Amino acid sequence: MRAMRAIAANTFREAIRDRILYLFVGFAVVMVVSSKLFGMLTVGDETKIIKDIGLAAMQFFSMLIAVMMSMILISREVDNRTVFNILAKPVRRWQFILGKYLGLVTIVGANLLLITVVLMLTVLVVTGELDLMLCFAGAMTMLEMMVLAAFATLFAVLTRPILGSLMTLAVFVVGHLSADLWLLTRQIPGALTRAVIAIVYYLLPNLERFNFRTEVVHDLSISGAAVGWAVVYAIAFIIVVLFLANLRFRGKDLK
Amino acid sequence: MKRTLGSLVLIAVLLSVVVLSEIRLGKIPRQDPLGRKLLYLPSPEMLKIVSLGNPGLVADVLYLWSIQYYSLYQPHERFLYLETVYNLITDLDPLYVDAYRIGALIMQIQTGGDAEELKAAVRRLFDKGLRNLPDNWQLAEAAAWDFFIRFKDQETALHYAEIAAQRPGAPPRIKRMVGVWRDKENAWTLDDSIEYWRRAVEDAKNDWDRTMCRNQFYDAVTARDRKTLEPLLAMFSTRLGFCPKDWEDLIRAGALRQVPLDAFGDPYGIGRENCNLVAYKKFKDQ
Repeated sequence: MRAMRAIAANTFREAIRDRILYLFVGFAVVMVVSSKLFGMLTVGDETKIIKDIGLAAMQFFSMLIAVMMSMILISREVDNRTVFNILAKPVRRWQFILGKYLGLVTIVGANLLLITVVLMLTVLVVTGELDLMLCFAGAMTMLEMMVLAAFATLFAVLTRPILGSLMTLAVFVVGHLSADLWLLTRQIPGALTRAVIAIVYYLLPNLERFNFRTEVVHDLSISGAAVGWAVVYAIAFIIVVLFLANLRFRGKDLK
Repeated sequence: MKRTLGSLVLIAVLLSVVVLSEIRLGKIPRQDPLGRKLLYLPSPEMLKIVSLGNPGLVADVLYLWSIQYYSLYQPHERFLYLETVYNLITDLDPLYVDAYRIGALIMQIQTGGDAEELKAAVRRLFDKGLRNLPDNWQLAEAAAWDFFIRFKDQETALHYAEIAAQRPGAPPRIKRMVGVWRDKENAWTLDDSIEYWRRAVEDAKNDWDRTMCRNQFYDAVTARDRKTLEPLLAMFSTRLGFCPKDWEDLIRAGALRQVPLDAFGDPYGIGRENCNLVAYKKFKDQ
């Protein structure tokens, strides 16, 4: 546990030294704050626009951080040969993978926390009300990013950095389209084709399951079951993906 | 140092060229006679897919763009595809109340095209909004007023006002508006009107609302009584050649059994000049 914590802390420290992280966070904060300007252009409820832009920025920049970090997550340790120093100590390979994953999740979480606070303050300034549902939207985006970070970790182990980033990005895109894939099963005739599409659907993460932005923006009621099952779904996916990453890393020749 | 200064001057010069050319380009009028910019709007399904879970944001962008685009006065061709644009926005975010209201408003100020088709398009947009927002009374009220004021279509206005009144959370004034419009439109019998206002008085949540409803109730009862009492007055004055000075004259003549009372239990009067029924509306008992 201590080893894992040390690796996670080190991954976090390394990431916050990276200037590109500040660039992303800076962009996200500017985007959230400037949403007030977009709100001024509208006729009607400007809060909706501020929330829409803020929540989209939250998701988009967290995704970018996860994608970018997947490039340096493992490869930097291997390239700098520091991985040998770490693994020479009483650290198991799975602890290394999990530590790296937790480090990545911490970075994304810190970014998300910052954007959520800025968004809540922006909404507070505009409406005079503290919208706590934005925290909920932030938490659900965090869940989505945790799944994505698991894939980033898997691809960091599986392949070269740039390809890994592209694959993480692809998971993000496909994750938001997989619901349409499911709809496709109803359109296509043939039981076999439908079964194949259904299998592909279940193997890919459906990131729309964590999307409660419409509910938050329009103050709609949210089903507790939907949230609960989304948490179960995310945890199960994360465990499976990290398990696969560990399997690959265990047998990987690091020389 | 000299080189750096030279580079900075060059950058400044080039930047001024950029700014100047942008200003010049902005002043050159560009024609878009067939609304070609709008011809390439993708389908809502496609936009939903590319929004990667943020269709609300795409709807906002389109909505902001539509306000800028349509707020500049241009020939009526500019308003081509107006319904398509607002359908697209509301397909992306079906709960976007402002898009329905402002979309309908822009359609109403449209200068060209067939007026009936335009009205039908406004109605379609409102109907879509009311389907997607089953708990929203504000949109139904907006639709009612738009049809009442802009299109002078009281029948449709009444239809939307009735929808607004039935929705949860609708304020009492909507219910009153429905009653008043029904009265004006003669959309019901006087007995129905009296029953409606009687119930409205019973259901009133505050003194102000109750007083307003009692006022309408009084008028409805008076209108019904006027229908029966004024023919009696006319008959009496035709037979005897003068208007009765009070109701006792009619009772004595056997036309009435007792002095007719208004909704609040006070006797009606008789206007000697026109020989008509006179009501003295008093609100002493709140």
